[in-house]
Amino acid sequence: MNITIKDRELEVKEGQTVLQAARENGIYIPSLCYHDRTGPAGKCRVCVVEVEGMAGLHTSCSLEVSEGMKVITDSEKVLEAQKLVVNLLLSTGKHDCLSCEQNGICELQDVAYYLGIETPAFHMADVKPEIDDSSEFVYLDHSKCILCGRCIAGCNGTVVNEVLDFGYRGHEAKVICDNDVPMGHSSCVQCGECVQLCPTGAIIDKLRRGKGRPWETHKVQTTCGYCGVGCQIDLHIKDNEVIDITGKEGVGPNFGSLCVKGRYGYHFLNDPARLKTPLIRTNGSFREASWDEALDLVAKNLNRIKQESGPDAIGVFSSARITNEENYLMQKFARATIGTNNVDHCARL
Amino acid sequence: MKLEEKRSMIEKIVKRYPEKESAILPALYFVQSQDNNMLSEQDVKDVAQMLGVSESKTFGVATYYTMFNEKPVGKYHLQVDTNIPATLVGAEEIVAYLEKKLDIKVGETTPEGLFTLSTVEGLGSGGTSPTVQVNATYYERMTIEKVDKLIASLKSGEMPPKDVNYNYGTECGILFKNRDKVDSTSIKTYKSNGGYAALKKARDMKPEAVLAEVKDAGLRGRGGAGFPTGLKWSFLSKEDARPIYLICNADEGEPGTFKDREVMEHDPHLLIEGIAISAYAIGSEKAFIYIRGEFAWIANILETAIEEAVADHQIADLDIVVHRGAGSYICGEETALIESLEGKRGYPRLKPPFPANVGLYGCPTIVNNVETLACVPFIIENGATEFKKIGTENNYGPRLFSVSGHVNKPGVYEYPMGTPLKNILSAAGGVNGNLKAVIVGGLSNPVMRASEIEDLRLDFDSCINAGTMLGSAGIIVMNDAVSIPKIALRTAKFYANESCGECVPCREGTYSMVYYLDKLVSGNGTKEDLNALSYLCKNIRGLTLCPGGDAAVMPIEAMLNKFQKEFEALANHKLSQNKEGASYEYHD
Repeated sequence: MNITIKDRELEVKEGQTVLQAARENGIYIPSLCYHDRTGPAGKCRVCVVEVEGMAGLHTSCSLEVSEGMKVITDSEKVLEAQKLVVNLLLSTGKHDCLSCEQNGICELQDVAYYLGIETPAFHMADVKPEIDDSSEFVYLDHSKCILCGRCIAGCNGTVVNEVLDFGYRGHEAKVICDNDVPMGHSSCVQCGECVQLCPTGAIIDKLRRGKGRPWETHKVQTTCGYCGVGCQIDLHIKDNEVIDITGKEGVGPNFGSLCVKGRYGYHFLNDPARLKTPLIRTNGSFREASWDEALDLVAKNLNRIKQESGPDAIGVFSSARITNEENYLMQKFARATIGTNNVDHCARL
Repeated sequence: MKLEEKRSMIEKIVKRYPEKESAILPALYFVQSQDNNMLSEQDVKDVAQMLGVSESKTFGVATYYTMFNEKPVGKYHLQVDTNIPATLVGAEEIVAYLEKKLDIKVGETTPEGLFTLSTVEGLGSGGTSPTVQVNATYYERMTIEKVDKLIASLKSGEMPPKDVNYNYGTECGILFKNRDKVDSTSIKTYKSNGGYAALKKARDMKPEAVLAEVKDAGLRGRGGAGFPTGLKWSFLSKEDARPIYLICNADEGEPGTFKDREVMEHDPHLLIEGIAISAYAIGSEKAFIYIRGEFAWIANILETAIEEAVADHQIADLDIVVHRGAGSYICGEETALIESLEGKRGYPRLKPPFPANVGLYGCPTIVNNVETLACVPFIIENGATEFKKIGTENNYGPRLFSVSGHVNKPGVYEYPMGTPLKNILSAAGGVNGNLKAVIVGGLSNPVMRASEIEDLRLDFDSCINAGTMLGSAGIIVMNDAVSIPKIALRTAKFYANESCGECVPCREGTYSMVYYLDKLVSGNGTKEDLNALSYLCKNIRGLTLCPGGDAAVMPIEAMLNKFQKEFEALANHKLSQNKEGASYEYHD
């Protein structure tokens, strides 16, 4: 199917939306409430475009492509509408970029930059920050919230924790946890899906606050070590220290989602007490040892116990932090090599 | 009441709906009624648990609608309608009097816990304003003297009788054919005047023939948009295994509109017959009447009438459920209404898909206004040709005109479509004072100056040609004692209060309009504030998720343009005092 966006002729797939087609072809159409994983919402109205032969403005996040469609993204009408939306958001929220963690990766900032908005057009009542720092890992500032609903869609639709929703209405509407209690007192399990999906600085990782700006870090993609699922994560590194972890969008198996451990349980990395070599206890105290020495010692003692007291004197306890295949090998080792059925796993605790 | 008893009541409510979640509003009403008219944290938790929905969702629903009280209220909750039709006839004075008499401010409760005073948006009683709603009961046509009597009576623990002496008139005798009958709500009265003959006739026809007749009659929706009803029905796919739902929109939220209640309150069987015929035509076996929450007593009238119709074997193959909203203007928009009926916040849906394809519970759904459905029996009984003899070309049939504000006999008048506005005003006893401005289609339409209505005929097309819209035919009359900027401010407040908050331009745009209009009206405004208002109106229009945004800006834009001098006088007054510079700048 062929369409034109911003005078560029493009070949696009049937069933795609105009916004998807534009993104695939590197054409920027501002958007705020749309996210690939939560879909079109039609709430922010900033992705509007004009289409030749169709009256009015249309949200490109929900408009399907059709053969021969001519999409205009930069008419005066479109730009005025987009400016109105951004001006209204900037005027009714507390969007100070100076020390906002999201500075540089904020989608609202991107749109304001694209439209050339320096300061908000409307000067109304002063908006105060509305902080909820009750949660251990998630930091909320409702005054930076644009009510795009992405966090709510993620909480209910993707991770199905059903903690977040919209409460109240109109200008008073806000994202609530349970009965509008602070997040730290709610049923939230702190998976951080809401952080991952938030386009502004309204919901951020608490642990990274003040640790470094996005442009001071570099990202390293790796596999989460907590269990066998193999979630793909981005380590955000500054000065050789991991200051944040985010889920890798667009890549399986997790497509950006993570659990509380994978997203926030990384402080052991630089902890001085972290084990870096095996330790062997002699005369009541530990000494560092090489892997070869440690494994030899374990093998020797396992053989000795088996000979002295039989194989059932030994039990094998394995971990969720290794893969399914490794867990399989572990029970195989217990049954075939040692000769016992004493096998258990920490996930049963 | 014990938890188990609550649970069994709620389980009964659940049975009325194809999906459990739809029971959330009636369940919240029920637990609130068991808890001194208040919804506690525990009540919300109980409902969430019993219906198997999350707490946040339940709390989100409870706080979306205005009729749930998250804070304690007095034994008598006095709610005064302060919307524009009510304000024009003294609602503010009633509020001020009540504040003085009870020695509390709006939002407060008297120390002994007897009275709570609130102001609320339009109660669908513009023609009988001022209205004081006491708990679920309307006290209409209030005066200061009546307020005294009301309070005295409530203090002695007695709810006084209601004044139901509403003004009405009819030239057509179709929708109001039983209006002056004694016991007009009973099936006996209805049948003695030829009722349910049309339904019998329809059942002897093929459903397609019924649909064709309605299409031929050129019936256009009476809710506001004027969309051809038969055409809407014909959008339903013929080969679809999914159930089809018919929803009667009885939300009647448009300020200045109070006509559907006339039909439901005085001739419920006319509506039921209309629903039954329409359901037959479109192949629906389950219909809902979504009625605004405040009309609790009318919901009871409808339920009684449905029971009568069932007992009389009139609607054996159709299940009609009366579902009360809970205070939300936007739920009059059909997709918001569907969401609300599904037990959600009244957030309008992205379109397409349209309800005829994906509506209630994802099934094909038709939503029609009360008055629209009430026209159907006449069409079937007398034929499209007879219907088309009433009204003007492309605008056929009778119309219920709600007339409020500065007329001598505010009320509902049934006249043919296309009747000159002047005739309707005469029917309503004539203008009280010198006419300044009129809104003819409910608040959301452009205001007309007195000089523009000389030849104005009230049909969809004539109104569009004259630069306004007939909408829901709610005629709000204003005499020359009225300050248009004040009316504009109250209009903006209404839309800000009722904005669902889903999309940015409506949510923050209406909030901003209130800010600037308030500044102007309070004497602190500038020319820049006026420019900001025009800029907001111009750019919000056509940008919002649902028609609610247009509804908010169209009347205000017209007021700004047509009564520019009044706004400029306010702005100029302040101009010299505002030397520190513009409070507003915008990008061309």
